[in-house]
Amino acid sequence: MITFIIRRLIMTIFLLVVVSIITFAIFFLIPRLAGQNSYELAAQYVGRNPTRSAILQMEAKLNLTAPLVVQYWHFLVGIVAGTHYNSGTSITYCAPPCFGYSFRSQQPVWPQMMAALPVTASLALGAAVLWLVGGVAIGVLSALRRGSIFDRLSMGAALAGVSLPIFFTGLIALELFSYKWQLFPNVQWVPLTTNPLLWARNLVLPWITLAITYAALYARLTRAGMLETMNEDFIRTARAKGLRERTVVVRHGLRAALTPILTIFGMDLGLLIGGAVLTEVTFSLPGLGQFTILAIQNQDFPEIMGVVMLAAFFIVVANMLVDMLYAVVDPRVRLSLWRCSRSATCACSSVPTTAWSRRWTGCRSTWSAAARWASSASPAPARA
Amino acid sequence: MRRRRTLVVATCAVLAGLGLAACSSGSSSPGSGSNTGSSNSPSFNAALSGVVNPSTTKGGTLTFAMSSTPDSFDPGNTYYDWTWNISRLWATPLVTYKSCPGSCGLQLTPGIATGLGTVSDNGLVWTYHLKQGLKFEDGTPVTSTDVKYAVERTYDRSVLANGPTYFPTLLADPTYPGPYKDRSKNIMGLTSVTTPDAYTIQFHLQHPFPDFNYVAAIPQTAPVPPDKDTGSNYQLHPMSTGPYMFQSYSLNTGATLVDNPNWTQNEDPQAKQLASKVVIKLNQNANAIDSSLIAGDIDIDAAGTGVQAAARAKILSSPSLMKDADDPLSGFLWFTYINTKVAPLNNVNCRQAVEYAADKTNQQTAYGGPYAGGAIASTVMPPNIIGYKSFDLYNALSQPSGDLTAAKAALKACGQPNGFTTGLAYRSDRPKEVQAAQSLQAALARVGINLQLHGYPSGTYYTDFAGSPNYVHQHNLGLDMGGWGADWPDGYGFLDEISNGNSIAPSGNTNIEELNDPVVNNLFAQAANPSLTQAQETAIWPKIDMQIMKDAVILPEVYAKSLLYRNPAVTNVYVQDYYGMYNYAVMGVSTSAST
Repeated sequence: MITFIIRRLIMTIFLLVVVSIITFAIFFLIPRLAGQNSYELAAQYVGRNPTRSAILQMEAKLNLTAPLVVQYWHFLVGIVAGTHYNSGTSITYCAPPCFGYSFRSQQPVWPQMMAALPVTASLALGAAVLWLVGGVAIGVLSALRRGSIFDRLSMGAALAGVSLPIFFTGLIALELFSYKWQLFPNVQWVPLTTNPLLWARNLVLPWITLAITYAALYARLTRAGMLETMNEDFIRTARAKGLRERTVVVRHGLRAALTPILTIFGMDLGLLIGGAVLTEVTFSLPGLGQFTILAIQNQDFPEIMGVVMLAAFFIVVANMLVDMLYAVVDPRVRLSLWRCSRSATCACSSVPTTAWSRRWTGCRSTWSAAARWASSASPAPARA
Repeated sequence: MRRRRTLVVATCAVLAGLGLAACSSGSSSPGSGSNTGSSNSPSFNAALSGVVNPSTTKGGTLTFAMSSTPDSFDPGNTYYDWTWNISRLWATPLVTYKSCPGSCGLQLTPGIATGLGTVSDNGLVWTYHLKQGLKFEDGTPVTSTDVKYAVERTYDRSVLANGPTYFPTLLADPTYPGPYKDRSKNIMGLTSVTTPDAYTIQFHLQHPFPDFNYVAAIPQTAPVPPDKDTGSNYQLHPMSTGPYMFQSYSLNTGATLVDNPNWTQNEDPQAKQLASKVVIKLNQNANAIDSSLIAGDIDIDAAGTGVQAAARAKILSSPSLMKDADDPLSGFLWFTYINTKVAPLNNVNCRQAVEYAADKTNQQTAYGGPYAGGAIASTVMPPNIIGYKSFDLYNALSQPSGDLTAAKAALKACGQPNGFTTGLAYRSDRPKEVQAAQSLQAALARVGINLQLHGYPSGTYYTDFAGSPNYVHQHNLGLDMGGWGADWPDGYGFLDEISNGNSIAPSGNTNIEELNDPVVNNLFAQAANPSLTQAQETAIWPKIDMQIMKDAVILPEVYAKSLLYRNPAVTNVYVQDYYGMYNYAVMGVSTSAST
């Protein structure tokens, strides 16, 4: 287990470095290849009507004349060891992880991201609970009542939920529930620590708006998974042993169907904590998504780099956690995981998977591959 | 040029050749212009000519919302219209604009100075005397060294990158590095600004500049105490000299302002301290701002650029909402340059053919219609510029769809009776401008003028394309679309950069039509004569405007407008003509309805 985590952490660092190189290259290398020089780049950060000397001052301050490799190295060193910054009247130390100072606001990037993180985390986690509970419940019920009116209606609604963009449903929700009926008036961000009730009240609409899209997807995924699982031999065996239907469905059917749901949930949650862009912009929530939009609009490299790295980090960590959770969902995974992580032979192509699990999960990691292999190789033991 | 007025840059380097002596600026007693407009009951456009909901009631929270973020709340480091407007809540410059509706709001009046600046006989030294007894929010007295330091710090663009560059361009020692580098040596080292005593400050110019009082009205002259300056962090808590001071400010999220206990109404009659608290919400969804305004959740959209399309339709179709709306001129002009060096437009008759043939109604529609786009223009100066005079040389108002008969006659006189082909440059990432370009192409085609459209990115439009005469000539760009608004509202501020022959530059050119008409140039020189009275100087601007139109080098399209909505709970509301938006410095809020 420890070996596995260490390996994954090393992989995470490697991945983050690769992401940072790509981002850096997009920002600095590609424009340079297209003919832009450091002077022209600096001119973007000197406001309107800059004089030549003003641009040169900015070029020097941002160290844009240094070779790209040196610039990148300084950036990396700043993250690991921190850096010093001249605010004009004083030299301040930016402690690690220092993602530098915004080219525009000249304020350190990391505190800004940390100020935005609770907003995004509040939004993403709250919505995740809603869509996971709602989506899975609807999916299970639809699968169990396949062809019923409920099934048709819920799947139709799910299709609509997936199809409607958040900026549309969000504005409609605001117009109806906030402005017209005043059920949630004056929606704005209130920190949890300031007033938990207001925090929740102001997030109800964003949660629901965001959850609708994801719940619809999860309902369809769960339904498909349940339909396939409930036709497996081990479900028939469980029923033949005389288990109650609820036990069969929840402890055997749903549990087996949850594996791919968990996989995609990890990916979704990681992505959202990196910034729920549309929802945050629609509801004017000062989270990482809104921060990202501003950074891109301003072509503010340190901010863009910071938010990309943070998002990548969350995605990687969320996936790692999901891999570990496979063992919770399916206890049989544990032995296989140990074996797999020690032998490192769990290549994707060599692991037998069901068509359904391949479709939704692909081959992501040794651990998840092992989990799929384990779940398909032997049915869940039914307890009589 | 403030950020909303997106065109070009009002660099002042060209002023060097003017050789002007400054005109006297006159004086005005403090407070003479404060809220002199009549009070108007709420109705459409009521806030253009009078004060809506006049009140002296103290209390409540005044809430502004903004769809983006400021370039900075540091008065020395900002170049947006709305930040200049809202910064009056915490920063009082040497000179400011009278707080009053209508054209009264274009006039200068003292800020922290006792009067407008007085100029030396040679036009090179401007002197201001400061009011005594003024204090920063912490009770420290305001002195002339604080104003000098405020100007000094704007020289270091590596720390304060955003503000205008008038001082380094106009003042006598342009190479001063600013007070931050080698601080012990350079602080208070700007030799072109002297402080003979604690309440007197003098600006020494390289060349006479009669409009210097307008430069002194830029927020960059708001005093900054040297020992409280925190460089690039000063934006987080500027030391207030206005009616409010920062209680908190979270970058990208918003700010809360509370009463400045050391501000007095008597010393600053152009501002008020009515609300108990001012909240500025940043990064709010633009459509949500409109809905919140209408729902009464916020009081004013700080951007001042008008509501979005959805709210516009809602307001214009509802009399009950429309009574709380206004449709002011922004002071901005949308137009097309007609280049004098690209054949056959080097012939004035061909240029006049373009003026006659353009369909102004379609151009107006392209820019957003009469409410959000603007009013059809027939002059270069918009009506809310000092010196504006209405005239209509090319029947833009009488025949807004175009005078094709006159256009054909002009083409014949030009020697191109069947028309000609030329290029039209526009910014391809601006949908309204794209539509305007296509509309102009269709209109001119009616008389045989074939426009070849060339779209360019707006980021480099004025540096690499339309603003580069060589590029314009090489690519036969006879017409170039653009927009213009001045940093100060007089004829000089509006016309000089776009029509004075001295303004033609090889890159970043603002005189894109490349007009070098001796008549125009001489009129500018006359206006700089120090012996002229204000009225005589003002009388010159319409003459220049008329001559530019006779030369047919600018095709005016619309005087830009925006549809603003005011929460009925807001008190003391009126449009300040200088900003083309509500005057944020004097507003209050009804305590019974405050948010």
